[in-house]
Amino acid sequence: MEMLIRWCVAGILSLLLGYAAPALAFEDDEACLMCHKYPKMGRITEEGQQKSYYVMPHVFSKTVHRNVPCRDCHGYIKELPHKPVTEGVTCDTECHSIQNPSTGKPFSHKPIYDAFKKSVHGREKIAEGNDADKPYCVNCHTNPLYNAKEEKPPKHIVDRCVVCHEDAKFAEKWYNHTSRRIREVKRSPQEIVEMCSSCHADKEMLGRHQAAAKEEGRELGRKFMIAAESYNESFHGKLSKYGSDNAANCLDCHANTVNYYLSVHELLPSRDPRSPVSAENRVQTCKQCHVRADENYAKLDPHPSSKKEDNVFKYYAEITYTVVGNVVLAMLVGLAAFETWGRLRDGVSWRFRDGSSWWRRTRRDSNRIP
Amino acid sequence: MELSQEARDVLETAKRHNRVRPEDERDIEEVIALLPDDRSMLYKNVDSNPIGDFYRYSIHIRVQHLLIFSTFLLLAFTGLPIHYNTAFWAQPFNAMLGGLDVTRVIHRTLAVTMIFAMVYHFFTIGFGSLAKLSARTFELRRTILPTWKDIRDFKEDALFSSGKRNVRPEMDKFMYKQKIHYFAAGFGNTVMVVSGSIFLFPAFWASILPPSMASNFLEMMRLGHPHEALLALLVIAFWHWYNVHLAPGRFPMQWTYLTGKITREHQIEEHFLEYLRCIVSMPEERRYLRKLIESKKIWGTQPHD
Repeated sequence: MEMLIRWCVAGILSLLLGYAAPALAFEDDEACLMCHKYPKMGRITEEGQQKSYYVMPHVFSKTVHRNVPCRDCHGYIKELPHKPVTEGVTCDTECHSIQNPSTGKPFSHKPIYDAFKKSVHGREKIAEGNDADKPYCVNCHTNPLYNAKEEKPPKHIVDRCVVCHEDAKFAEKWYNHTSRRIREVKRSPQEIVEMCSSCHADKEMLGRHQAAAKEEGRELGRKFMIAAESYNESFHGKLSKYGSDNAANCLDCHANTVNYYLSVHELLPSRDPRSPVSAENRVQTCKQCHVRADENYAKLDPHPSSKKEDNVFKYYAEITYTVVGNVVLAMLVGLAAFETWGRLRDGVSWRFRDGSSWWRRTRRDSNRIP
Repeated sequence: MELSQEARDVLETAKRHNRVRPEDERDIEEVIALLPDDRSMLYKNVDSNPIGDFYRYSIHIRVQHLLIFSTFLLLAFTGLPIHYNTAFWAQPFNAMLGGLDVTRVIHRTLAVTMIFAMVYHFFTIGFGSLAKLSARTFELRRTILPTWKDIRDFKEDALFSSGKRNVRPEMDKFMYKQKIHYFAAGFGNTVMVVSGSIFLFPAFWASILPPSMASNFLEMMRLGHPHEALLALLVIAFWHWYNVHLAPGRFPMQWTYLTGKITREHQIEEHFLEYLRCIVSMPEERRYLRKLIESKKIWGTQPHD
């Protein structure tokens, strides 16, 4: 009986789910989904890593790339079934099908890709050695959803558009494209800190790069090894950890807010004069929030730590505070205990009923003359 | 009792300040002569009104104490969950108040109230001292300012506690412990206000400090704020509350902070010089002493048992 109920529930659920999922929401003109619609589509690599090649049609159809035919990015696919993929997608590929409406040229992420490659993080898609530690586009960018919270564009908006733009689909596309950009899609400060920390808090990775820099005689930032942990120790770090959106996160200082979205891709070391945290630009960067900041203010340490090798003053200050605090406390408690001994000998006691100053006219009985 | 040189000084000054008439002066001297040589016989035999016999703190001081201790405790209770904001207990506490940002606003508001109490206190002691100066009744030794005598009192009191003296030293209105405590609180409050202000006005501090030390100063203040707060909280919990609540004979509490009055026994035991001033200014206290000494037969020299 129980078995029967379970099967019935499973059957009803599968019916409901099947009903809820739209069949194929994007046009699969190249018939890639012929194979890639199967959830088990994948393989286990020689290193034992499981790879899934499953494309969820109902999810992909809501992503920003849904109108890009597969082979615009996966250009190396020439026939079906295709050969094993070796190089994969690079993000500077030109789209053949999508035009940049402002220029009429084929759309491409090339400009931002080039800016990224010149930054301190810049790398090739297939990188070797320490460069492989650096983030590639997809380390930070997935294929994000359009307006994840909206099932469909609001009807009252589309209704208005179609008065002139007859094609409702066009209106929906246009709505998705613009509304996503009008809404702030920046990561939250906590997400940014987490994202940067995924590499900059990895001691092993940092050590590798420090050793390489030493070998090559390259200079690294003074806080390179402790950037993430010292940020968390800082006032900004504490605030943003607790959910404040006003405290500066990594990118608020290390990227230029004037052209934020480009600037986060071309992060530069602080010794580069173009960096917002370079000695030349630091005051201006602080002033974004601390309007009264001046030269002195810009010299404050935004990555403070109590490590001896980083700040010997703070290291000893912390020890001194702890020692003084404990000694003072021990002395006072000692004094209290010493006094208690003396007072008890002098004839006063802790009696609550007969000796309390609360309701009796005296607190002593020894040496008291009746 | 034969008064010590110090006590004699205090008595003469009090007589002058109170402009005592010759007949009162005779009365005072008689009562002083009647006092038992062993001062402990006096404080162990007097009757005390639990809520206090002698006026000690004005209403201003009492209000300041109420303001300071209530804001102090609330500052500690809101400051700790800000500092230890990742602790298991801090998160629900902050959430209960409406989130860390709300806790911070409450903390700052309380801080302003505490600063107000401090300013109020400076006005009180400032104008109080001016009034006394103009009435020519100001006595430096009667103030909270530390004197060399305090070191001697501390030593004598330690000898009493260890059993090497029979009686506690003759101390003034404020004994050495109160002076330590007052200046510890004053120093602590100043540290808390200055270090707290660096959280709110970092740019101001950076602009007035030399660049070579601004960063270290601000970091030291950032360290100092929670350290000093914790120290203050522990000193209050372990020492101040011991002194006023837990010490044998003071348990479970004294009413002074509400009534502004101190009991007779306590006054004679720990603030004998202040008690001499009471003898001078209060004829009814002299009458009480005469009656007490007569009924218990504790005048002059007494054999020790």
